Amino acid sequence: MGLREIYITCTHLCFQTVVDRAISDICILLQCSRHNLNVVSVGKGLVMGWLQFLEAGRKFDCISSPTTAYTIPVHVEEVKDIVSVAKYILIVEKESVFQRLANDKFCNANRCIVITGRGYPDIPTRRFLRLLVEKLCLPVYCLVDCDPYGFDILTTYRFGSMQMAYDAKNLRVPEVQWLGVFPSDFEKYDLPQQCLLPLTSEDKRRTETLLLRCYLQKEVPEWRLELELMLQKGVKFEIEAFSVHTLSFLSDQYLPSKIQEVEVLPGNKIKS
Amino acid sequence: MGKINRKSSNRRVSQGLLTEDDTWIFLSRSFCKRSLMRANAAKAFIRVWKVMEMCFKILLQEKRVTQRELFYKLLCVSPDCFSSQLQVNRTIQDVVSLLRCSRFSLGIMASSRGIVAGRLLVQEPDKEMVDCSECGSSGYAISGDLNLLDRLVMKTDARYIIIVEKHAIFQRLAEDRVFNHIPIILITARGYPDIATRFLLHRMSRTFPELPIMALVDWNPAGLAILCTFKFGSIGMGLEAYRYACNVKWLGLRGDDLQLIPEESFVSLKPRDLQIAKSLMSSETLQEKHREELALMVQSGKRAEIEALYFHGYDYLGKYIAKKIVQANYI
Repeated sequence: MGLREIYITCTHLCFQTVVDRAISDICILLQCSRHNLNVVSVGKGLVMGWLQFLEAGRKFDCISSPTTAYTIPVHVEEVKDIVSVAKYILIVEKESVFQRLANDKFCNANRCIVITGRGYPDIPTRRFLRLLVEKLCLPVYCLVDCDPYGFDILTTYRFGSMQMAYDAKNLRVPEVQWLGVFPSDFEKYDLPQQCLLPLTSEDKRRTETLLLRCYLQKEVPEWRLELELMLQKGVKFEIEAFSVHTLSFLSDQYLPSKIQEVEVLPGNKIKS
Repeated sequence: MGKINRKSSNRRVSQGLLTEDDTWIFLSRSFCKRSLMRANAAKAFIRVWKVMEMCFKILLQEKRVTQRELFYKLLCVSPDCFSSQLQVNRTIQDVVSLLRCSRFSLGIMASSRGIVAGRLLVQEPDKEMVDCSECGSSGYAISGDLNLLDRLVMKTDARYIIIVEKHAIFQRLAEDRVFNHIPIILITARGYPDIATRFLLHRMSRTFPELPIMALVDWNPAGLAILCTFKFGSIGMGLEAYRYACNVKWLGLRGDDLQLIPEESFVSLKPRDLQIAKSLMSSETLQEKHREELALMVQSGKRAEIEALYFHGYDYLGKYIAKKIVQANYI
């Protein structure tokens, strides 16, 4: 059952936000997850690359065509027989970046699995990612824009969201590493000044709120430094800015060089 | 130089003309002449050429580009000409109108939100046949690549095509395998229709002309607006919208279904709904029967969602659709 379906059936009782909270309360009380109560959300995540699995009898053979996007199944508990020859999992924030990688046939040259939640990841995407990590034990790299929203999405994958905090154990993926884009990449990869966009007052407010999060103190203090640098400089920039060099700069140069750094010096250059 | 004349009187479907068989709509010929003596107009002219030049270079590399990437490239190559994404988008539309081509042919990638499920077999060139009834509740994802969609081979034994407004409803129907009981193809753009979904629907209507296409939308002006976008196209998409118009009928929710909906499920219309309703009403292309339904909506001041039908049980939706189809109750 979807959340909206439940809401509509009980409209006379309350608003949808109340239904949402009620379901969360029930989950906390019974110490279960939403899907245990048969509450599902619509899925919007995409996956491509060197992966094969079964879901409810249907075969997802991404390996036969590694540059084709497949929708991530909603009923993650029915996914089994996961097989992969990938060396790592790459999460990208935006669908447009996913499209860029598909268009550049990134997975042909790089043995990996690429996932996107198309913005803030929904529950099936996060559960699917967690399942892949558990079964395949591969490193996970996350590529987001250098702005507060990108950072928020990164933390959602790694630590979970505030709303679903009660289920964080099943939804967070502590193996997620921040691959890019960092404020320091701007000079390192020679981007022209016009690509730097100023932080709006909303962005600044958001960044300040993000800096207050507890895990930035203890678990990932290096992330905090980068975020502070962003706020201090008052600028942000998007992954698409790399296209000013060449369209395939991201696939041919940025990503391979960043990933190579990780493999050579694990946990050092990359903030993990 | 011919450019799209963006006056408010043109911004709605009101200026369109219908052809006899009700399946096509043409925007009025709204070109304007711009004198190159005014600095602004000259700049607009230069922007068009800059975009064409950039797209040409990209096509030569046999690559595709997103609108955002195009913005960054133009920002760096010609900083005096381009300052915002909106400007780039408008210039792209001008190029489309000038060359009478589609955005896709300029090499601009579009994402697709559409999915298909049901009694349809599709085969991409050099790939295996995919059975959309075996795709689970997530369905078969419609590619954003119009070239690829154009070369899809499709086969069906369905008798009807149903457009579903919302993803959640689509998911419910796909999960319940409604197409095993009624011979249908389900398609959704998950809200406001994108070009790729409309293109595929258009191809389906051409390949299977005997299959009526029906829409299942919420009972509110936005739902009708979505139906009209599939039917006529959207002005926001510029002149390419008319290519993918289809003859879409309104299955539900409609006025005669209101008795099935419990009183508590009705919500009052918001100011935005009334705005949309007004815009639709002013359209000359809106069918008489649809106009009556819209008037009823506005008059009652209420709206209702398809999920309200679950009051009668979660499997009720399938029965509702079947009954309406059998009774040919669509307008």
